[in-house]
Amino acid sequence: MRVELSFTVNGEPAELRVEPDARLVDVLRDGLGLLGTKEGCGNGECGACTVIVNGRAVCSCLTPALEVEGVDVLTVEGLAGPGAELSDLQQAFVERGGIQCGFCTPGMVMSAHSLLQRNDSPSEGEIRNALTGNLCRCTGYAQIIESVQDAASRLRAKAGKGGGRG
Amino acid sequence: MSSTLEYLRPRTLIEAWDLAASRPGARFIAGGTDLMVRMREGKVQAPALISLRHIRELTQIDVGPPLVLGAGVNVSDLQANRDVARVLPVLVEATRTLGSVQIRNAATIGGNLCNASPCADLAPPLLVHEARVRLESAAGMRELPLEDFFVGPRASVLAPGEVLRAILVDAPTTARAVFLKKGRVQMDIALGSVAVLLETKGLVCVRARVAVGSLGPTPMRLREVEKTLEGATLDDGTIALARQAAEQDVRPISDVRASADYRRHLAGALLERGVRALMNGGRT
Amino acid sequence: MADLRYVGKDLPRPDAADKVAGRAYYIHDLVRPGMLWGKIKFSEHASARIAHVDTSRAARLPGVRAVITGYDTPEVRIGFLRDNFALKRDRVRQFRDEVAAVAATHPDIAAEAIDLIRVEYEPLPGVFTPEDALAAGAPLVHERDADGRPVTTNLLPVTVKHRSGDLAAGERASKYIVEGEFSTPLIQQACMGTAGCIAEMDTRGNLTMWAKTQIPFLAQRDFIRALEAMGLPGRNARVIVPTLGGAFGTGLDTHAYEYIAILLAHRTGRPVKILYDREEEFANLSPRQSARTRIVQGCDADGHITFRRIEVVQDNGAYTSWGATYPTVMLIPATSLYKVQNVEFEAKIVYTNNTYAQAMRGYGNPEVTWPIECTLDQLAEEAGIDPLELRVRNKNEPGETTPMGLQVTTCGLGECLELAKKKLDWESKRGKQRHLRRGVGVASLVHVGGSGRIYRSDGGGIILKLDDFGNVNVSYGGVEMGQGLHAALTASVAEALGVRPEKVAINPTDTATCPWDVGTHASRGAFIACNAAIRASAKARKKIFALAAEVFADEVKKNLQALIKKSPSYAPPAYDVAAACRADGFELASGVLSLEGAPDEPWLKLDLGRVLRAIHFRGVAGQMVIEEAFYEPPSELPDWSKGVGNMSASYAYGVQAFEVEVDEDTGDVRILHAVSAHDVGRVLNPQALRGQVQGGLAQGVGYTLYEEVKTKDGRVLNPSFTDYKIPTVHEMAFPVDVCFVETNDPAGPFGAKGVGEPGLVPTAPAIASAIWDAVGVRIHDLPITPEKIVRALKEKKAKE
Repeated sequence: MRVELSFTVNGEPAELRVEPDARLVDVLRDGLGLLGTKEGCGNGECGACTVIVNGRAVCSCLTPALEVEGVDVLTVEGLAGPGAELSDLQQAFVERGGIQCGFCTPGMVMSAHSLLQRNDSPSEGEIRNALTGNLCRCTGYAQIIESVQDAASRLRAKAGKGGGRG
Repeated sequence: MSSTLEYLRPRTLIEAWDLAASRPGARFIAGGTDLMVRMREGKVQAPALISLRHIRELTQIDVGPPLVLGAGVNVSDLQANRDVARVLPVLVEATRTLGSVQIRNAATIGGNLCNASPCADLAPPLLVHEARVRLESAAGMRELPLEDFFVGPRASVLAPGEVLRAILVDAPTTARAVFLKKGRVQMDIALGSVAVLLETKGLVCVRARVAVGSLGPTPMRLREVEKTLEGATLDDGTIALARQAAEQDVRPISDVRASADYRRHLAGALLERGVRALMNGGRT
Repeated sequence: MADLRYVGKDLPRPDAADKVAGRAYYIHDLVRPGMLWGKIKFSEHASARIAHVDTSRAARLPGVRAVITGYDTPEVRIGFLRDNFALKRDRVRQFRDEVAAVAATHPDIAAEAIDLIRVEYEPLPGVFTPEDALAAGAPLVHERDADGRPVTTNLLPVTVKHRSGDLAAGERASKYIVEGEFSTPLIQQACMGTAGCIAEMDTRGNLTMWAKTQIPFLAQRDFIRALEAMGLPGRNARVIVPTLGGAFGTGLDTHAYEYIAILLAHRTGRPVKILYDREEEFANLSPRQSARTRIVQGCDADGHITFRRIEVVQDNGAYTSWGATYPTVMLIPATSLYKVQNVEFEAKIVYTNNTYAQAMRGYGNPEVTWPIECTLDQLAEEAGIDPLELRVRNKNEPGETTPMGLQVTTCGLGECLELAKKKLDWESKRGKQRHLRRGVGVASLVHVGGSGRIYRSDGGGIILKLDDFGNVNVSYGGVEMGQGLHAALTASVAEALGVRPEKVAINPTDTATCPWDVGTHASRGAFIACNAAIRASAKARKKIFALAAEVFADEVKKNLQALIKKSPSYAPPAYDVAAACRADGFELASGVLSLEGAPDEPWLKLDLGRVLRAIHFRGVAGQMVIEEAFYEPPSELPDWSKGVGNMSASYAYGVQAFEVEVDEDTGDVRILHAVSAHDVGRVLNPQALRGQVQGGLAQGVGYTLYEEVKTKDGRVLNPSFTDYKIPTVHEMAFPVDVCFVETNDPAGPFGAKGVGEPGLVPTAPAIASAIWDAVGVRIHDLPITPEKIVRALKEKKAKE
């Protein structure tokens, strides 16, 4: 018996009918056609499905869809600017080799985005803590860390702050 | 097709109890990090899910004394709470090892405890502080030691319709405590975890509390270890005896993660490490 | 070599922007009109007779459009020994045997239907180790072969043997001999994107498969054969490869689930998608084979290797796939890692009722480099020679031919050893940090660098299609799986053709439009594709220049006229354009055509697109510039019964060295520093190459310290990330020095060698060597878990 769900995704209103035990990942992908969020394990262990709900990074495969009623959700599709211009963080991943097969990338970038929203000078340890729940099998993580560090310095530069790695 | 027909979001406990009473077989769900997985695996089926996320009464933190932590307090919020960090630092330390940022952003203290896994990361730190739990239902409220809350793997004393309301720590002490967890990789279920609390006068231990996770059917206190420590001078000899007691006091199993032998050994290693860390001012 | 514009530069991958924007579409994301969802019912026993299959309740479930079993579908045989079947009938031989399948309108309905299928089994005894399988009286996993002939043993009729030199003489010449037994477990590829496909048949019985594959053309051949078995001879199969969520060898064979999707598509007349969830991926997709190796290795007083004897026994599992051919690659380190004249190698592959195994990165090389390098470390210890120095004394050199017949053209092993020594500060550390429980260790690798010939053709083709705007569309039949193939190919085409990389686009991999390629394995993608691209580009340039000779003069004349009209005082330099317009007089760089030696005037340069339009629109003389080249590397298909043949066009050598710290109490191994030095021939794209090595190293660390598919009586015990642990970002929190040695191999595109696999080949023995240095224990069975270290330390203490 489907019920109404309305929330905001990437700044736009979304209204649909969902099964009571639907998961947010399925609502995003199948309900709204936002295929950028990937499902890698269904258990909250790989982080590929990471989205930001009410400002917090969560695994959308573990989030009951009805829990986002009335709430803001940000997915990877919401990071780019007008004209599909990549965000600084996304641009850093592209330029610093943080992407190989790309399956973990949307989730990885959402976790990094969430970190940088709160802290634009993260230490390497803080970056690793933020990304602990995002598994990658291709890169060995080194260039992912470099991408996040690069993004952080771009953001600081834009905000008029100095360099340095916090 | 799914058998869950309703997802309900009550705003108060009374509403939650009413819903539970009118829907037999309904399950309470908080963060969902465990329940969602088990439902998907078919291990749990519920005709209705009653979300506890929106019940204000469950998310309050009162430093007290006694420290009162609402069961619905989110683990990330707990991790960031400076008052709790001041009063019960070992609990905040334990939150850092719980899952990942994503898991912590959804999980609740209550969920971690009610899941009653022997591996519950938040249990050992609370046990060494002799925490109590407050359980409440439409019929009334009861309090009991956290230690008695767990009865077996994934089994607690919670009755149908009963909710874990809060966790209480009576007298956050001036004793110092430490929590150590060993997994295979950073994000892991513990192969073994140990919390140690020591109150010392000089080099003599006047009070010791030791609790473990993943080393028995439930998170549990190691009273034999506590006995070897209390009243003794904390020297190499005592530590060796305490270590031996730890190896004997735990009741580990062999499973896909580790053998019972290794877990016994780990119990001793982590116990020793914890005691020495506290002797060194809490640095592991 | 002249300065390169694009090759060797850090150009971003062309597919990166879409991936980071969430606009790359994997098999998980694809939908076809009218598509149904398929799901498979797997066996509940490792070895049993199928007594009865009841699908009636499943068939009645609303939304179910087909239910199939091995009893109501034509027999489709799979695998190079044809011992596997799409759907099993009469017998199940492993837990993951496919017993039935459904297609339904929604994945949840398909899952529910699977639960409604009732299968009755009569359990049979099974065998779960090669030893048990070879014991007298052991039950046979297969009683007949694919041709119906009776089989009398669980030993596979697949032998790889090698013998060269004089083993006895080698033994006599040895001052030190070390013997040991080593093992490597089942390892899962654990791609982040799970397996899946969409099968769609047209009204005439032709098939289109969207497949998560690395072998689109061999898969095409396999699917055509399946169509024939299904009573559809003469039909075509088209294989399209979507963006891949990793592969690491999972796509090197076709899988039962793909044939099941085809059978369901045929039965329903609709496209059918099958997608594995993570548990199915862990439990029902073939991992890399486990191996047990017995080795004897000797050296003389100066540490020169005198002989090497290796016997490998592999657990094939219940059916045969590429894991059974690991010995062909094992021969490489066995015969060619360091100089060794006297070598004996033999591999036995044994059927069991465990999960059948297939390919994974490294393909047998890590399994044998493990015992070779571990025992070499022991020999160094016995001989009192520093282990790194011992490697230097035995290092391979350019120009040598190894006992397997590998012709080592370029070889940077010596330089790699030097780099490892320097970057890790080896001399101040080895043997000097035991009091800190720290140690350093080293191991080398040799792998194919110019593809690996294991099939009658090891080639691959490229088609370049230029259009009226100077765009270049490239068709290549191999796959991008995250390794950076498209980046390397884009740079190579841009470089070789003389256009800007932004004008180069790589077409999707599609058997209908791309030339044949044997498959993306053996680290061959860039090596083959870029070599073919260089040749195709040369053809394209030749054609462009020949045709330009006919149009160039007219076009620049128009330029000059326009220029003079705008600036009447302009005086052009004296230059006979017409005379200079010869096919051999042109230059094409960054998409601009000009005449060699001409004055540096803008009106004398033409944008390539303009030239191509001029060529195109010349009325009856109009032409296109579309060129192809098929590149077959200069290598031989070895004689496997002798284990001899130069199977690659070049060989990639490398060295890894680690510094570790061991926690004696918990057994934890903490990596402090790693060096990974590789002879790459030439760096095509630094960022992509670093990524390959770092990624390989992470996989190496995983299988060294904690990765293992655990089974009991054939059942996978850890089918999830909960208990199959791969490195998180924390496990890789140590500095990694990635070093490249450019030896400029003559066979390679711009001198490059393939480096996709080397990153994980020497990791385990290098870490094991460091653990020995730190705390004095050696573990022979991977993974080296804390538990094993604690046990070994206790045993060591008990002996003292």
